[in-house]
Amino acid sequence: MEGHAGQKAALTWAVHIAVVVLVVLWTVPTFGLLVSSFRDKDQLAATGWWTSLAASEQTIAARTDSPEAQAREGNLWVIRGNVFERGEGRVASWGTSSRAPAAFGPGETADLGDGETLAVEEDGSYLLSASAEMTGSRGQRIYVQSLVPPRFTTDNYATVVGAEGIGRAFLNTFTVTIPATVIPILVAAFAAYALAWMQFPGRALLIACVVGLLVVPLQLSLIPLLRFHNAIGLGKGYFGIWLAHTGFGLPLAIYLLRNYMVGLPKDIIEGARVDGATDFQIFRKIVLPLSFPALASFAIFQFLWTWNDLLVAKVFLGTSDSQLVMTGRIVELLGSRGGNWEILTAAAFLSIAVPLVVFFAMQKYLVRGLLAGSVK
Amino acid sequence: MSRILGSSALALVCLSSIATAQDLPFPPGEGGFHWDAYEALKSTDLSGQVITVAGPWLSQERDYFETVVAYFEAATGADVQYNGSDSFEQQIVIDTAAGSPPDIAIFPQPGLAADLAAKGFLVPLPQATADWVAENYAAGQSWVDLATFPGQDGSDALYGIFYRVDLKSLVWYVPENFEDLGLEIPGTMEDLKAMTQEIVDEGETPWCIGLGSGGATGWPATDWVEDLMLRMYPPEVYDDWVANQMPFDDPKVIAAIEEFGWFARNDDFVAGGTGAVASTDFRDSPKGLFAIPPQCYLHRQASFIPSFFPEGTVVGEDADFFYFPSYADKDLGNPVLGAGTLVSMTKDSPGARAFVEFIQNPIAHEIWMAQRAFISAHLGTNAELYGDPTMGKMAEILRGADTFRFDGSDIMPAAVGAGVFWTGMVDYAGGADAAEVASAIQATWDGIK
Amino acid sequence: MGQILYAAATIVVGVFLCVAYFWGSNALLDRALPMKGPKAAANVRKANAIRPWLFLGPSMIVLGLYLVYPVFNSLWLSLHGSGGRDFVGLDNYVWLFGDAKFLESVRNNLLWLVFVPAMATFFGLVAAALTDRIRWGNLAKSLIFMPMAISFVGAAVIWKFVYDYRGADQEQIGLLNAIVVGLGGDPVAWITVPFWNNFFLMIILVWIQTGFAMVILSAALRGIPEETIEAAILDGASPLQIFWRIKIPQIWGTIAVVWTTITILVLKIFDIVFAMTNGQWGSQVLANMMYDWSFRAGDFGRGSAIAVILMLAVTPIMVWNIRNARKEGN
Repeated sequence: MEGHAGQKAALTWAVHIAVVVLVVLWTVPTFGLLVSSFRDKDQLAATGWWTSLAASEQTIAARTDSPEAQAREGNLWVIRGNVFERGEGRVASWGTSSRAPAAFGPGETADLGDGETLAVEEDGSYLLSASAEMTGSRGQRIYVQSLVPPRFTTDNYATVVGAEGIGRAFLNTFTVTIPATVIPILVAAFAAYALAWMQFPGRALLIACVVGLLVVPLQLSLIPLLRFHNAIGLGKGYFGIWLAHTGFGLPLAIYLLRNYMVGLPKDIIEGARVDGATDFQIFRKIVLPLSFPALASFAIFQFLWTWNDLLVAKVFLGTSDSQLVMTGRIVELLGSRGGNWEILTAAAFLSIAVPLVVFFAMQKYLVRGLLAGSVK
Repeated sequence: MSRILGSSALALVCLSSIATAQDLPFPPGEGGFHWDAYEALKSTDLSGQVITVAGPWLSQERDYFETVVAYFEAATGADVQYNGSDSFEQQIVIDTAAGSPPDIAIFPQPGLAADLAAKGFLVPLPQATADWVAENYAAGQSWVDLATFPGQDGSDALYGIFYRVDLKSLVWYVPENFEDLGLEIPGTMEDLKAMTQEIVDEGETPWCIGLGSGGATGWPATDWVEDLMLRMYPPEVYDDWVANQMPFDDPKVIAAIEEFGWFARNDDFVAGGTGAVASTDFRDSPKGLFAIPPQCYLHRQASFIPSFFPEGTVVGEDADFFYFPSYADKDLGNPVLGAGTLVSMTKDSPGARAFVEFIQNPIAHEIWMAQRAFISAHLGTNAELYGDPTMGKMAEILRGADTFRFDGSDIMPAAVGAGVFWTGMVDYAGGADAAEVASAIQATWDGIK
Repeated sequence: MGQILYAAATIVVGVFLCVAYFWGSNALLDRALPMKGPKAAANVRKANAIRPWLFLGPSMIVLGLYLVYPVFNSLWLSLHGSGGRDFVGLDNYVWLFGDAKFLESVRNNLLWLVFVPAMATFFGLVAAALTDRIRWGNLAKSLIFMPMAISFVGAAVIWKFVYDYRGADQEQIGLLNAIVVGLGGDPVAWITVPFWNNFFLMIILVWIQTGFAMVILSAALRGIPEETIEAAILDGASPLQIFWRIKIPQIWGTIAVVWTTITILVLKIFDIVFAMTNGQWGSQVLANMMYDWSFRAGDFGRGSAIAVILMLAVTPIMVWNIRNARKEGN
């Protein structure tokens, strides 16, 4: 008996641990992105995000003032200054050659040859002295290693929102998604009702067609449709992309909504019919309110899909600042700022923030709608 | 609420006034610019007209181009909307095919422009413009020939004007790092190869090579191969190869690809090892020169690359370049590989025509010249305006060239020059056999003839 | 600001127009064929015959225009040359089957087709079974479901960061390489390793789709009658045996639905490949290849031929789906 209980407890522990492992595996990539987007850009480029709480060693390339700043002191020519621009930091080691950037410790003096010497103190102040007058237009290079405490900042977001035009793209995305979510729901709800509760020849065939259209790859519609839009004078713009998203979203909308509506209690609808209500009245007063969970579920789906879409936006919208959407902007950033992770991480997190909020707020409905469509 | 609105409106006004001041960084009338040409432009009134321009320039390059455009806008009153895109090559195909082209397209590749011209999507320019280019550009006729293609009806016409010229045959380095290692600028390819080995012997990594470029990944390697083709064989071989009169899998081409492999497929020669070559973005690749300690000492890239150097880099002091040398034992002189962007009309409108006129105006060249990373073939520009002294050095290389050839991949049909040549070189850099890569490229070329 | 007003105004106008159409057309029908008077019965019959089409009309027009017409247009284009003018017969298809990149795409699509639905369904099933047994299961479910809300492009950034590669002499900032180096290995440029890079891309889609599978399967698992399981416990079956021998067969139908849903998505996979590798290093897939040929090479004939092949590949699933829908309908 005891052994059995022990076994059961062990099993429960195993389940807990397994779920923890799964959850960690599934969230770590996103978490890494979030942490990185708040890190200082130099640190982000130098060390992994998992070390972000530890102090990191950084090497900076500083330069003494140019020979114009030299002053005569006794029989020496000297230049004084500080390697830290803001005057803060502590030198761990330094050097003058890129191959040995940590050759000297703070307080040591390096012989640069030709009678020149350089000394760098721990607080960053340096003294360059020469026995003859120094020439040239630039100062001596100094490489400095300093220990930098972990720095977190919202600068990355500020940069992205302001200069990189993500703020505008954010607005554009909303302009695309909201009508592209509302219009198909309206159109699809009527069709779904007709397919669920009205009798007419060819109904089964139409349902089959809708299901069939679910799997048509939308890439092949791009050129014919853009041509069509241009032919009727719509061109590239918000109106066109709303229509396009409506078209691409309709099969799923009709399919989900019909499945849900079919499951509504038959006697209520039949009863209303007997009482002399027209189909329009039944739809408006009974079916629509009862179908709210399915409508909400599709709305979330369509919102996520239009928000996250790249291809349709690339084709049906222009790429000017007033039309470029978030995903498009991020892809451009991926291309033009391939290695600037501070820009990429902040931009990517901004783009997934809204869907995540919508998702967590409305998760209940999403699941209900999904179930209506799939579990039968 | 209204107060907030009011103050933000005020902020907007302030911002926009600052923006206009920034838009014209060189006050008209000052400096050695051809301001008379700018004044003449004012007679064209395009107020209220919107001109859409699509091109490949992003980030800094976009900023430079937009300052140029600002002068056009200020003079004519037109509203020019420039859309830069990393996937310009695909975007322009979609837009023209669907019938919603911009007014002006700026092609990084004449080959793509030729494809579109053959489909009737580009507006031919008059013979007078061709004559003008022949007269007013350095080596004018060659620039006319490069932009002359058969149109939909099969008759040849000029389909664009070259605006920015890029010099490809350059090797970039950091002079102070060279000093640390005691390196001297190599005069011949043999010296360069010896130097590569020397740097390895010192325990360092000589080259930074990055082929990544989003949808165009692979093109930097095609430049390498073209540069080597020009150095290994007479220019006629190069011309035959570009026109596919010599097959792509000819032993000569394979040898050139393998010569590129000598540099790129040796783990000791490239920063990050050969695995990093294909996956490193070409824009990030030069940053290795400036790392502490340096990840590499040499970087072969075109004249535009300083746009992607770290902020505050002074070209000519922090970084410099030398001519990608030729082989001492080949006696082929000093060949130079170049490229250029082609400004074409995709929609015929008064605004578009005025913009093409503007590109012929010296001021359009001088404004960018005075900033960074721009070489002009326009003879009427004031060469003293180049924003950094290295541009003058580049112009010298161009003048000293025994042979000048245009970037071959840019002239090849898009399916090859902007397709399998790119991907093939990525495969090669990843370890594929040069002969197999070359014959796969030839197979595609056969397939589109 | 103006843009927000513009969007808001269109929503209002659009919604108003939709409502006006449905309401107006129905009112018109009621007026034209009144349910009263001498012909009431005939009128009701006529009205009932017409009304479904009023409801379906807008949907059918939009579907026909945005999905059905392009299918036929692609068929037509695939028989024509690059400009879409000269008829070339089956040349494009002949070329396609001799093209190495196409064969590579087919192989990769097949790999995706096997690996992604299988792994997503498997992990979804495991997650569903495990999270139902613990108190904080709902929280765990939310977190595993979360990637569903992330765009393919956002996912590409996230995973590029995980797969990031730097030379062996530098500190790795990509998680995967940091682990490899930490274990004493050499860093690898993951997405450029031919063949295996396919799996690194597939992991992204598995990561996104597992939550979907988990939610559906968890509901199905809960729907299994208690008695069946209790009987098995009385027979002395271990939890694992119950799961594999009793529960799985019970929810087999739902597993099939999840599997096909993910399969359809996989066949159309484009964004992840486009953003991560653009089909290079041997990771090309059909949808991206079609995009390449149509929009990069400007050859709509070949692009459409690839699209048609893609559609043909989807057809069996489509037929299966339609059959299922028919069964449901009855």
